[in-house]
Amino acid sequence: MKRPLRNPQIVWRHEKRREEEILKAQERGEAVEDRGTVILIISGMMHQLNLVGGHIWSLCDGSRDVDGLIEALAEDFEVEREELVEDVRDFLADLEQRGWLSYV
Amino acid sequence: MSEAFTDLFSAPLTFNWTLSFRCNFVCAHCYSRFEEGEELDTADIRRIVDVLAEKKVPFINFGGGEPLLRSDLFDIATYAGRQGLNVSMNTNGWLLDGDAARSLQASGFKSVGVSIDSHQAALHDDFRCQAGSFARAVTALDHLRAAGVKTTMSSVISRINHKSFRDLLDLARNHGVTQIYLHNFKCSGKGFENRQELDLTPEEWRDFYVEALMVKEQVKDLAISFDDPVIASLPQYRENSLVKGSSCGKLSLHLRPNGDITPCGFIPLVVGNILRDDFDEIWYHSPVLNAMRSKEAKGKCSGCAAFADCLGGCTARALAVTGDLEQPDPHCWK
Ligand code: SF4
Ligand code: SF4
Repeated sequence: MKRPLRNPQIVWRHEKRREEEILKAQERGEAVEDRGTVILIISGMMHQLNLVGGHIWSLCDGSRDVDGLIEALAEDFEVEREELVEDVRDFLADLEQRGWLSYV
Repeated sequence: MSEAFTDLFSAPLTFNWTLSFRCNFVCAHCYSRFEEGEELDTADIRRIVDVLAEKKVPFINFGGGEPLLRSDLFDIATYAGRQGLNVSMNTNGWLLDGDAARSLQASGFKSVGVSIDSHQAALHDDFRCQAGSFARAVTALDHLRAAGVKTTMSSVISRINHKSFRDLLDLARNHGVTQIYLHNFKCSGKGFENRQELDLTPEEWRDFYVEALMVKEQVKDLAISFDDPVIASLPQYRENSLVKGSSCGKLSLHLRPNGDITPCGFIPLVVGNILRDDFDEIWYHSPVLNAMRSKEAKGKCSGCAAFADCLGGCTARALAVTGDLEQPDPHCWK
């Protein structure tokens, strides 16, 4: 199976401290979908990925196929398997369409 | 984007790094000519690169002083590149011949910016107090292009060029430049001394930016960048910038030749030393940085509808002219 790989040209950073804050906010029941834990810098513009998106991004290192990626995510996120599968596929399709991801 | 304080990044995205205050020019607007200080050896510079890599700072930009005066520049850049940093620099171009351009390419520079302040050789040379500097700066752009290095051009907007900035854009285009920075005039160092003569009035700044923003919208083959937070108060300003107000202390920091950290090259307040102090402690707890990140509106800024976007404009200029970083930017036309 093909393995998703981040575009190596893209400069990105995992924001650990932000993530800690966001996890706390989530526990308090706040909406955190719009808050970024991973930042990408693409042609001088910054983009942010939220908790789930950032996690997926971090896993797209070309070492695992999509099933493996879902497996790894399922350990960290308590959501219905079907929902997770769909979210991951949509997100990967979006990244691929933007040219931020390819398959190896 | 949420701008909550807790959303602060874990480190800046860019370090503007003055490797040396030494320069082969004495430009009329330069901020660094009155500065002196110890310079670090290559081993210490590498230690700094290690810290930046560990903190995952993605970009470093060598400025000056003239970076090419450091004989270990290529070694430093190569080392930084291997550590995952994206390296760029700014130069006056004087020393940038074909060999230097090829060495810059070989040491992994992502882009090199050349400072050119007028499309007229005589004006540029006069401004830079160096006969022949225009010709060499332009040739430097060509050497870089031939060596396959991406080039940018930097122009300090002042009385000598604010009406003819379109010619600067043409010059950039003709030499294969893809991005031009139209820098605002800063009031420190020699810029402060020559302020009366070179700086525009607030109304002239407004007119310049209104026109330049219009041109920016029209021009497709050249990216035009400004670094002046006060333009956020103009309705014509449509950019979705990463942070409000000055980016210094939020997205960028500045390093002096001895490893001292200041918020930006134009703010002479040392917040710590990268080799001696704990970086996280400085980044999260420096009183100066935190003051810059949470400016209160003072003077005419209080009650100004633009404050949320402009945050009082350029902190460096306010500090240089009034001694208080929360005072309105002296360039503000409101
Ligand atoms: S008054 Fe202050 S906040 Fe308003 S535009 Fe001027 S500098 Fe910016
Ligand atoms: S303080 Fe002014 S000169 Fe310094 S980085 Fe900020 S906007 Fe630029």
